[in-house]
Amino acid sequence: MSRDGVGASVTRGGGYDRVTGRQRYVADIHLEDVLHVKLVTLDCARARIRSVDASAAWRVPGVRLVTTAEDLPRPMPRFGPQFEDRPVLAVGETKYHGEPVAAVAAETRDAAEEAARLVHVDYEELPAVVTLAAALDPAAPLVQDPALRPGDPFATTNVLREHRVAWGDVDATVADLVVEHVYAFPMVTHFAIEPHAFMAAPDGDGIAVWSTIQHPYWLQRILAKLLRMPLSKVRVLAPDPGGAFGGKQHTKYEPLVAFMALRAGRPVRLVLSLEETFQAARRASASVRVRTGFRADGAFAFQDVAADYLVGAYADIADRVVSKGSYPACGPYRVPAGRVVGRGILSHTPPSTAFRGFGNPQVNWAVESNIDEGARALGIDRLEIRLRNLARRGEAFIPFDTPADGDWEQTVRTAAARIGWGTPLPPGRGRGIAIGIKSGPTTGLSYATVRLLADGSVIVYAGTSDMGQGARTVFAQIAAQELGAPLEAVTVVMGDTAVVPYDAQTSASRSSVLMGTAIQRACGQVRDQLRGMAARLHGIDEAGIVVERGTVRLPDRELPVLDVLRRGLGRLGGELIGNGEMRKEEEPGHPLGGSAAFWEFNCTAIEAEVDEGTGDITLVRHVTVSDVGRALNPLQVRMQDEGAAIQGLGHTLMEHYIFDDHGRIRNLGAIDYRIPTSMDLPLELHSEIVENGDGPGPYGAKGMSEGALLCVAPAVAAAVRDATGAVIRELPLTPERVWRALHGEPDRP
Amino acid sequence: MHPFAYERPGSLAEAIALLGRHGAEARLLAGGTDLIIRLRDGSLRPSVVIDLKRVEELRPAIREEDGRLSISATSVMTDIAADPRVRRHFVALAEAAAVIGSVQIRNRATLAGNICNASPAADTAPSLLVYGAVVVAAGPAGTRRIPIDEFFVRSGATTLQRDELVAAVELPLPARRIGAAHVRRTRRRGHDLASVTLTCGVDDAGVTRLAYGSVGPRPVLEVDESGTLADPGSTGEARAGVLERMFLGASPSPRSMRASPEYRVAMLRALGERALRMALDRLGGG
Repeated sequence: MSRDGVGASVTRGGGYDRVTGRQRYVADIHLEDVLHVKLVTLDCARARIRSVDASAAWRVPGVRLVTTAEDLPRPMPRFGPQFEDRPVLAVGETKYHGEPVAAVAAETRDAAEEAARLVHVDYEELPAVVTLAAALDPAAPLVQDPALRPGDPFATTNVLREHRVAWGDVDATVADLVVEHVYAFPMVTHFAIEPHAFMAAPDGDGIAVWSTIQHPYWLQRILAKLLRMPLSKVRVLAPDPGGAFGGKQHTKYEPLVAFMALRAGRPVRLVLSLEETFQAARRASASVRVRTGFRADGAFAFQDVAADYLVGAYADIADRVVSKGSYPACGPYRVPAGRVVGRGILSHTPPSTAFRGFGNPQVNWAVESNIDEGARALGIDRLEIRLRNLARRGEAFIPFDTPADGDWEQTVRTAAARIGWGTPLPPGRGRGIAIGIKSGPTTGLSYATVRLLADGSVIVYAGTSDMGQGARTVFAQIAAQELGAPLEAVTVVMGDTAVVPYDAQTSASRSSVLMGTAIQRACGQVRDQLRGMAARLHGIDEAGIVVERGTVRLPDRELPVLDVLRRGLGRLGGELIGNGEMRKEEEPGHPLGGSAAFWEFNCTAIEAEVDEGTGDITLVRHVTVSDVGRALNPLQVRMQDEGAAIQGLGHTLMEHYIFDDHGRIRNLGAIDYRIPTSMDLPLELHSEIVENGDGPGPYGAKGMSEGALLCVAPAVAAAVRDATGAVIRELPLTPERVWRALHGEPDRP
Repeated sequence: MHPFAYERPGSLAEAIALLGRHGAEARLLAGGTDLIIRLRDGSLRPSVVIDLKRVEELRPAIREEDGRLSISATSVMTDIAADPRVRRHFVALAEAAAVIGSVQIRNRATLAGNICNASPAADTAPSLLVYGAVVVAAGPAGTRRIPIDEFFVRSGATTLQRDELVAAVELPLPARRIGAAHVRRTRRRGHDLASVTLTCGVDDAGVTRLAYGSVGPRPVLEVDESGTLADPGSTGEARAGVLERMFLGASPSPRSMRASPEYRVAMLRALGERALRMALDRLGGG
């Protein structure tokens, strides 16, 4: 391991700037002559818009533009990553609390806010469906206009789509014990510290758009289509986001600000408040029915899982969340017969989108909890039953997908050892253990460019978004390793579609593997050019030259790269440029369109204590162990796992949206939507890394960043049950819910 | 934010005159931890904000005089929680002040603001009730002293007149030894609004004073003079009976999303017993 190459725990680049306020986020960028935008929304979820009267708003000093549906092209432009269903502004009807009906642009934020208040919308409130039961009622109003879903068999229901995965014959499989329960997972939001922010400015004959987006190139494509501009005229600037967690993957208000900037002929900016962010991005809640068949010895006979996800009024990426999230519901186990039906159910709620774990935590909570039920009924230890069924390396646990790509037993045993599984506990304490698995990217495309400059320093161009996961640092480490440059001489350029080559997306914990490989390959091209140079300079055959770790090895001697580079470039100077590409192609016929590039695998073990008088849970010890193949930066790997573990405590212990009868979010904002603080952390948090170099990425790395969140909830609930006997099948495990379970009070929503 | 005029009087007389001139159009600013939020969200749109921080007579000060501790209107929670006299004589108030909001909030939030906001969940209220605090109200006709139990009316409403402001909160130095404790219930351990906030004080004559908030429109004070609660010899049943009667004044809202009425009432019992135990321990331990 070198001091600052791959495998070194170098400090995260930009970390200091982030915590000292020096980093310039989108909201910190001040454009000359900018107008401030405020959205106009209604005080209910669903309403028929009769008319919009902006005359009073126009009279507010400083107002320069009021945009309503009337001012946009007709038919209303619609967009979305999967379905083009989301209008730039609500047209005819609002479908969720917070959906914008109009927007005001003014010289100051205060003027924009004042004017937005004065836009008079004449509307008739309509009944809204905000729960699964209401949305699935045959008499329920349809969230999406069937006319927008031609040829769709579900068009006359609120089912967005249904995804089925099956192997073996569940119905014909006999089991000694069948355990069936329904588990509920709450609706939660990402709560990134950086506000979502959007700016747009006319840019010659094109447009420049600044966004806190995770996928700038996808946004560029959507904007180009909506604005009827070539890609080359749409420049997306995407400074490093300050936390995203999936909530910033997809286009939200960029089309609106783009239309407004073009109309105003001036730059405009829209920075969402936390309350508006709650209405712009959230995770799908879910109700998951699990029927598990066990043999008497604890071996699984079958898993039968039906997961309904409550998605929003527009699909965003929710359908993919449903399909990809429900897909590995049967877990990393040997399951002779498996059946998973995942459905996205439309509702009059904010569009649900990607969120760290991407639909997996919902089903994982249910299936892992159900495994515990079976173990208890059979009198088998809860760790033992998992080990008995766990897929071993190379086993195709989902018959048509990537086989088990790690020594998973090692991960589980490490977690069990760290929690002291099987050792005596003081009274009032309990333990839980759970396993999480998630498919990595199924397709992907990343390009990288690497320039080796005349002085030996390096610039890496990578279209990944570094939202805090530390991609910049890892990419710099890879380039430093590959070219032998000191880390401090490597610069990583990101976040500008006019400068940086294409990258499909920053999601599914892919970047170290896919972009990392592209960077490695770009560095390889640079090394090839160095070999050519050395061959030319020394009059020898290229075949006899090796470039490695900053050294050019000739048959008879070794030269520093810089020496070859300087002489090779000659008096005119210049540089060497390498390009790298990494593709993961689609696999036609695969249920997800492609097999897993790798599996994210985690085991979480919890020791908890419960105050039976109040229902308070104290996490005495939280152990999270992830198989990451190779930790390119162990410090960052631990930070990611710890962050994911703590974020998972949110939906486990306290986070959930609460709606009223009008479909309004009652706990809009930080006062009544609580996330864990430093005071709410486990008394001890241990993160461990399993490294066997068996991943597909650079140096054997697998993707990581989501694993430690996947199975927090079932592990905590199992520990609570172990400590108290309380059986809870609905999250979050608030003190009141635990108290109710302990005191025989009926649960309340 | 809606525009407003900003006034920064230097004297109490000036502040009262401004208040008289602008009446309902004016809002007083001390710590601003409630006011600024409501200005920002537009739920308050005063035409004048009168900043009290430069009023000479209201400068941050905790003074001991004439057998009482006087806490001026601009004294902040951080200072109150750390003050040795508060900690010695009024430990439950120090405990309550130390759990309000976050560090940043406590560095700004004032005791006077906390009671004038009159939130049923105000954490200092139960302790002030137990210690028999007196609110010093200054108005055009001079000052008057309002016992804290007569100050709270309901959420957001007090008996303070429109032309008055709170100049100080006074705490009579206890004539007897008191053991007291403040406890609260929140949805998480980190800063949060209380779904039950409760203070119990027991004196060496056997009188137990118990005050609680966040379970009705205003905080409630109950006194047990029977000695049952303070008597280490009473049965658990007897104590529970007395506590039960003391909690009859609780009427939590069924509409709250923070906790159900049955949970709040159950937590009153659980916290009441805990606070009583702590108070007795402290009385015993001196």
